[in-house]
Amino acid sequence: MAGAILENLSTKKLSFFCLCLLLVQIACFLVGGLVAPAPSSAHNILTTKCIDPSFSLQKWFQPHGPHACDKVRDFDEATKRGIFADWIVFSAQVPHRPNTMHRSFQYMLGVLVMDIGYSDEDGKHLAPNAAVTLVVRLGYKDTDDGEFQELVSVNETRKLECVFPFTEDKVGYHYSCEPLPLFELGSVHHKHYLINIRMPITKDKATGALTNTNIGSPEDLHVVIIHQNGGFTTVWMSIKTIMFPIVLLITIWFWRRVKTQGKPSVLLERTIFALAIIMSILNFPMEWLTFWVEVPFMTLLSDIKQGAFYAMLFSFWIIFIGEHLMDQTQRNRLKVYRRQVASIIFTFFCLFIFDVCERGVQLVNPFFSMWNTDKGYRLAMAFIILAGICLCSYCLFLLFMVYQVFKNISMRRATLPHMAKARRLHYEGLIYRFRFFMIFTVLTAIFTVIFFIMSQVLEGHQKAGESISSVQYTSGFYTGVYGMWNIYVVAVLVLYAPSHKKTASTSNGEGSEGSHVEFDIDVPSEGRPTDPVVAGSLTEAYQLLSKTATE
Amino acid sequence: MELKVWMSLCLIFGSFAMRIGHVYASGMWWTLGTAYTFAEDQIFDYPCRRIPGFQNRQLRYCEQNEEFVPTVAEGAKQGIDECQFQFRGRRWNCTTIEGDESVFGKILQFGSREKAFVNSIFSAGVAHSISRACSRGDYIGCSCDTRHQGPADNPHHIIPNATWRWGGCSEDVEFGLEFSRKFISPKEHWTRARVIMDRHNDEAGRKAVADSLELKCKCHGISGSCELKSCWWQMVPFRRLGAKLKDKYDSAAEMRVVRQSDPRGRVEVLEPKSLLYKPPTKADLIYYDPSPDYCRLDPELGSLGTVGRTCNRTSDAIDGCQLMCCGRGYNTIRRQVVERCNCQFVWCCKVVCDECVRNYEVHTCK
Repeated sequence: MAGAILENLSTKKLSFFCLCLLLVQIACFLVGGLVAPAPSSAHNILTTKCIDPSFSLQKWFQPHGPHACDKVRDFDEATKRGIFADWIVFSAQVPHRPNTMHRSFQYMLGVLVMDIGYSDEDGKHLAPNAAVTLVVRLGYKDTDDGEFQELVSVNETRKLECVFPFTEDKVGYHYSCEPLPLFELGSVHHKHYLINIRMPITKDKATGALTNTNIGSPEDLHVVIIHQNGGFTTVWMSIKTIMFPIVLLITIWFWRRVKTQGKPSVLLERTIFALAIIMSILNFPMEWLTFWVEVPFMTLLSDIKQGAFYAMLFSFWIIFIGEHLMDQTQRNRLKVYRRQVASIIFTFFCLFIFDVCERGVQLVNPFFSMWNTDKGYRLAMAFIILAGICLCSYCLFLLFMVYQVFKNISMRRATLPHMAKARRLHYEGLIYRFRFFMIFTVLTAIFTVIFFIMSQVLEGHQKAGESISSVQYTSGFYTGVYGMWNIYVVAVLVLYAPSHKKTASTSNGEGSEGSHVEFDIDVPSEGRPTDPVVAGSLTEAYQLLSKTATE
Repeated sequence: MELKVWMSLCLIFGSFAMRIGHVYASGMWWTLGTAYTFAEDQIFDYPCRRIPGFQNRQLRYCEQNEEFVPTVAEGAKQGIDECQFQFRGRRWNCTTIEGDESVFGKILQFGSREKAFVNSIFSAGVAHSISRACSRGDYIGCSCDTRHQGPADNPHHIIPNATWRWGGCSEDVEFGLEFSRKFISPKEHWTRARVIMDRHNDEAGRKAVADSLELKCKCHGISGSCELKSCWWQMVPFRRLGAKLKDKYDSAAEMRVVRQSDPRGRVEVLEPKSLLYKPPTKADLIYYDPSPDYCRLDPELGSLGTVGRTCNRTSDAIDGCQLMCCGRGYNTIRRQVVERCNCQFVWCCKVVCDECVRNYEVHTCK
């Protein structure tokens, strides 16, 4: 890749460009932090205990309204009335009246929290490794007075992970149990949802033992509903809608510039183009569709898009660094990087398979999760560990390459003064480009990590009864980081597009058309040469360059 | 069925209607707790104007929210039950006195430690039961509060569904706490020691609820990572609140009443009696009248005495016969009872047991 725009840009223009990007970055962060609400909210719904002596899986049991079910307040009362465990239907309507669900909520997760009371009485203890068997029906309706329609009806088993943290005064206290994942819906297309849960006492077909007999004495079931906030969806999609055309236009501009060079495009240019294309695909605000059409696979799709972007980004880093290695090997072919790229592809393929298994099956059965069964758990862990190993090896290789580049740079530095002018300028261009890229990339990555930690820390110290702070750090983190990677891609597109100016390229300094051309060695100030010889040679180069410019 | 409930209510409370005076406003609504039963399809119907001691602003707030009264009653009942559980082995054991409008008799007319506890457990009970009812979706009024989380263009006019859609609603427990505050402790009469004490202890009860909330979280980022995390508050069982307030009762701060003159007239202020101890915080209970020893029956003080109470012969604590009977000694009776044993429990409501005969001794105070 001969002379990029970056090398031929004056300091003034470059700083102006960076300042613009910085402003966009701050705007992205502020929009998320000040305008958008938290990304998601959780609603703790206490289920109503309905009575159904007929054990009917056809009927719906609603906690409120004109068709409210026959209720029982607590199990003491149920015992007095001679009600059996099989008759109890735990019912939760989502959301609470008078609200309705909205399509902008995008996804809905259900989590089951069991309040299991401690009891001294015989047979009321919670067995270790107990599992609870649930018969769950999930229904929906879109009108206030219509009948519920069945979405799914399943028979699921979940392992209970409970501890009893108290040592004295045990009676009336609850076990502390891990929330149980219940279901995940990839789209919230309907206005009302109804969840009916039963914990039947039946003979297990496989073992012949009675189900739900060693789960202690549950007192209440809470269903926690988690969904994306409508406000966050609006802000998020607005950012996407604005980013999409901008990045797309710059991509087109970049590719036309590459084409008008008059020579075949090099690998690095093609890689940047591919990165930009994938960024555009990620930016494409497809989620607007969910407002009109039911798209249950949207979360799967956005996971895949995000994975593809990261895979591309990692490949881009490898190729960029490889192309700046400055040893004498001729690269410029994807084949050279096949091992690294393959490891990246494999990493994301593992994660892809895992995601398809998890979310793909959830399209059919929202109550499915690989984590719920021992086999699935091991499989999921295997995928994730495999992906982790690949990613680690990738990182090690990347670091090794960066180290090599820096080693080569210092070697070249030493020999720079003895080189022919054209060659020297070529190498100086390479070094400058590389350093700028390194600083920019490392800054972006560091900021991502800092934002993430900050949002976790700032949100973590929430206390009950305190008013929610006016700044939503998590939302700010999301929009900020999203904006940042867009800015990163835009900066790479603009700064590393081939330049039309030939001064800094290998054309032997014949064309000194750009009178304002400046070779600014001060920008990568972090790596300011300390070796006096190198420093001297660089100033010399600079003087030479300005000389040619004034001629 | 409804008629029967009404009749019994009339019987219990018939006498109050005439006697609604100014004796002490706080506490008489507790009668709701004794009237409350939730059984089958009985409807608990208890209009606000029949609640003794409710006047002006409090009555208005109650009438605006009359649908909540059954839940308030449930909370009061919960408070009474918890009080009796926590004080089961004490000389004063939270006995309710039938036909008494302050539920526990005259003892609560003083600014005693016991009154401090009862105030706090009731306000906590109301906050707790209202929060639970809201979290069950029983009432339309509390499902989404009016805290504005959307764009701040018009903070006064809020359409619940818009707030809900934009950023979700705040926790039900906050509604419960606010309801308990408005229903129990109206902003009136700040100048009397009794009111200051009641309000402080009411608030301490609510603070116990707020402080004991547990934050639970669920990670739901890509592949279940914690990149995305949602959290919610969970209330602890009421038993734990009761135990916590009982601790506060044991370490309650004694105050003294200081009378000051003020442009509004004479004003009473409470100050810590002893400067050796740290001044009470908002979470601590305060009182200013010493409690009697509750050993003998004293109708003037409202003490029932401990004659006839069962005690534990082997205990050295307050439930032991020595302390419980105030040194008067005790009677021992041998009893034979048929008890349930070797029970098999099926999670909700079915217990299959054997019957066992057991002999034991009952000790009662002389």
